[in-house]
Amino acid sequence: MSERNGSAEDQREHARYEIRLKGHLDSRWSGWFEGMSFSYGNDGTTVLAGRIVDQAELFGMLRKVRDLGLPLVSVIQME
Amino acid sequence: MNMPLLATKLYIPLPRTHVVRRPRLIEQLNEGLNGKLTLVSASAGFGKTTLIGDWIAGCGRPAAWLSLDKGDNDANRFLVHFVAALQTIEDSFGRSSVNALQSQQPPSTETILTMLLNEISAHPHKFVFVLDDYHQIDAEWLGDSIAFLLDHLPAQMHLVIATRENPQLPLGRLRARGHLSELREADLRFTPGEAAAFLDQAMGLSLTADETNALETRTEGWIAGLQLAALSMKGHKDIPSFIREFAGDNRYIMDYLVEEVLQRQSESIRSFLLRTSILDRLHGPLCDAVAGQEEGNARLELLERGNFFVVPLDDKRRWYRYHHLFAEVLHMHLKADHPDQVAMLHLRASVWYEQNGMAADAIRHSLAAEDYVRTADLVEQAIPSLRRNRDEIAMLGWIQALPVELIRFRPVLCVWYAGALLAGGRLEAVEDRLRDAERWLLALADQNGRQQALSAGMIVLDEEEFRRLPGLITVYRAGLALVLGNVQAVQQYARKALELVPEEDGLPRGAATALLGLASWRSGDLEEARRMFAEGLTRVKQAGAVSDAINGANAIAVICMAQGRLREAMRTYERGLQLAVEHGDPNLRGTADIYVGMSEIYRELNDLRAAERHLLKSKEQGAHAGFPQFRYRWCISMSRLREAQGDLNGALDLLLEAENLFASDFFLDVRPTAALKTRLRILQGRLGGALDWVRDQGLSVQDDLCYAREFEHVTLARVLLAQNKIDHADRSLRDALELLGRLLQEAEAGGRIGSMIEIQVVQAIAHHMQGDTPAALRQLERSLTLAEPEGYVRTFVDEGQPMANLLEIAANQGIAPAYARRLLAALGRVDTLREPRTKPFKKLLLEPLSERERDVLRFLATDLSGPDIARELIISLNTLRTHTKNIYDKLEANSRREAVRRAIELGLL
Repeated sequence: MSERNGSAEDQREHARYEIRLKGHLDSRWSGWFEGMSFSYGNDGTTVLAGRIVDQAELFGMLRKVRDLGLPLVSVIQME
Repeated sequence: MNMPLLATKLYIPLPRTHVVRRPRLIEQLNEGLNGKLTLVSASAGFGKTTLIGDWIAGCGRPAAWLSLDKGDNDANRFLVHFVAALQTIEDSFGRSSVNALQSQQPPSTETILTMLLNEISAHPHKFVFVLDDYHQIDAEWLGDSIAFLLDHLPAQMHLVIATRENPQLPLGRLRARGHLSELREADLRFTPGEAAAFLDQAMGLSLTADETNALETRTEGWIAGLQLAALSMKGHKDIPSFIREFAGDNRYIMDYLVEEVLQRQSESIRSFLLRTSILDRLHGPLCDAVAGQEEGNARLELLERGNFFVVPLDDKRRWYRYHHLFAEVLHMHLKADHPDQVAMLHLRASVWYEQNGMAADAIRHSLAAEDYVRTADLVEQAIPSLRRNRDEIAMLGWIQALPVELIRFRPVLCVWYAGALLAGGRLEAVEDRLRDAERWLLALADQNGRQQALSAGMIVLDEEEFRRLPGLITVYRAGLALVLGNVQAVQQYARKALELVPEEDGLPRGAATALLGLASWRSGDLEEARRMFAEGLTRVKQAGAVSDAINGANAIAVICMAQGRLREAMRTYERGLQLAVEHGDPNLRGTADIYVGMSEIYRELNDLRAAERHLLKSKEQGAHAGFPQFRYRWCISMSRLREAQGDLNGALDLLLEAENLFASDFFLDVRPTAALKTRLRILQGRLGGALDWVRDQGLSVQDDLCYAREFEHVTLARVLLAQNKIDHADRSLRDALELLGRLLQEAEAGGRIGSMIEIQVVQAIAHHMQGDTPAALRQLERSLTLAEPEGYVRTFVDEGQPMANLLEIAANQGIAPAYARRLLAALGRVDTLREPRTKPFKKLLLEPLSERERDVLRFLATDLSGPDIARELIISLNTLRTHTKNIYDKLEANSRREAVRRAIELGLL
């Protein structure tokens, strides 16, 4: 437990995340999701990838996804 | 409050003429009326608002509607809107709550809600209350408040919440009890049949079944998507190919379709849509100003009729908004395609709002335009009205968004900012801001100084505020000095402030007076301190700052106790509570501190049950009903109570807890935790720790004495006595007696009878240890004489066995025999010569009235009949009778009239 906490602590700053959405989101939205790159899957999904400062920023981003009414497929923290 | 905008928040969307009927959902909503809460929870664009509006029009109950926005994260603002919405049901709802909300220190949210619930429960009809866009608020208090509301919701009201994400409410519990009915995304999606009906009837498109199916599949029944698709198809030459392409495309529906729709619009409509997307409310003239066009009203009506995601916000079609999702997509297009226009558009909006007297919106858009100079101007001009409306939170947010460099040239903003920082405990920047302001004050001296200041770049928009600055700056300096512990500076600044601040400016004058009181208190001049606090209390109370007045009452009571005036202290506390009640909130900030203080008095009177009850009461109220040091003081008082109950370990634990909670504030810490701990160690026979404390504090019998360290020096004397018990060295006894003699002199000179009583008790014990019983009795007699009128008990009883022996001798020799026997009884010595007990507290109730009994008492003093009172308090007649009987018992009265008379005598009314 403490080990996991420790590693979370270390990565709290600028952990890399991939947020996968259903539907191709126009890259003009990149201003909304600052610092995230857009890539598109053949399965019709969009992957927003980038470094996220902390959990607050992550939740802020998920809230924007929510407000667009876009189905959220997955959120993954990359090693 | 801006009325037109407020009205738009309360507007119930009328059913669209061509809306698709959704009987299965309407039925579900109707069934939900049996429970307390209906939750309509789905992403943007699923037709939540439309459905609820449609249902309300035919549900047979009146409805109140409140569309929430980010601003409602401020609890006060939320409540004002909430009450306004309720008033659309019944005019008279919440009149008193509104008054309370507009006061300087509004009551807690829960108090307001309780007042409203009481009124609702007396309403003859059932109604529905809709909270739309609930997800806009993420403040934690909202969930608590709504949960509280639901827990106590009368049958008259049914609550509907529409939201994009599940609210922070105990949904599981509500569900299990059958109080909750839910409509979720799966319910709200258009079925293929509804999609067909929508495209056909609402949008006027005749499509084949296959085409309808293809659209339904592509949008998955998402209504916003279908509506936008229909808009794109209108006037499209080749609908089948549009549908084919759309269905085969993976893009986000909004991206695909908004582009389609925008492309088919004229340049002027396209530009109108994009430019006005920066607005959260649309209004013809405002849109004209922002879009640089004309005929905004006509355009908005046209868009509404064309199903263009424009939602009316009032009956008269004056205010509209875009569907949130549509606005978001438009705004994205604006930012991506015309990034250079965004600031200019916000500026136009800001100017329009300013010209139309809506300061908050003007500031918001000005900040969005990143025009800081303009923002600073607007904020400065808004200070007086914002102060009146208690919008300081919004205000602080705006100031902090501005660059410091800009604020420095604006003395009015500087001082306002400094005050807010000081209140927030961020001391380091306070002095900087005050100095920034001060260098401009030369402009007040003469025309020459004014010219100089102006040519150096000073900006002042509000001359009246500017003239107040010298006084305000000095008050803040006094406050800062006090926090930093510089008593002399406090007195200097506060006195100067009283010269500078005009008589009619109550709040700063009250603050300066109270600061003088605190300074006198620290230096041991209690009488002066008390006078100052009393004067300050009156002033801040007149200025409407009731919590500050209660805090003043607290200080006065603590001082009274040091002066040995327990009754006066108790009366002061009661008056403090009374202030809160009169203000409409028995849990007003500061009342929890009062209950702690009252428990101290009850402990001294040896009414330990009452002491404990008061402590528990204050804990129940919660930390928000107390000032920052409340939890610290609570632990100290509870520790002393545990000690009196004989639980020394429990007492010690509480002291350790208190130590961790200590944070310096304006009040004098008369009994430092470390000294209290030392006294406990003495009782536990752990002298080593006690001696360590003496060494650590650098205490010595030769010290110069001062009030601030009095408690520590008395503790030192006690340590010396404990040492003597072990080493039997005369020296420690002599030292203790000499120190106590000096302490007594000081206490007497300072009029601190409370201190004298304790010092004389310790002197008596010391003489007794010396074997000098006559001297011991002399001191004891003096102490008893001072203590008897006020009914002190614990100060004697806490000394235990040696005191019991002395009291027995005293009683037998006729020294205050009745009082001595009472104390002996409290010490557990059975008294055979029991004399009729004198009433120890003629003017104070031994058993205080409970809060509810006080409520009842207040009504007893009116003309209301019993049943009327019961109705007002929402209790049964029987309960009322019980309360009344208790009141009579406690007041020793036999009739209502007598009870009221006694209550007035006792200062309870």
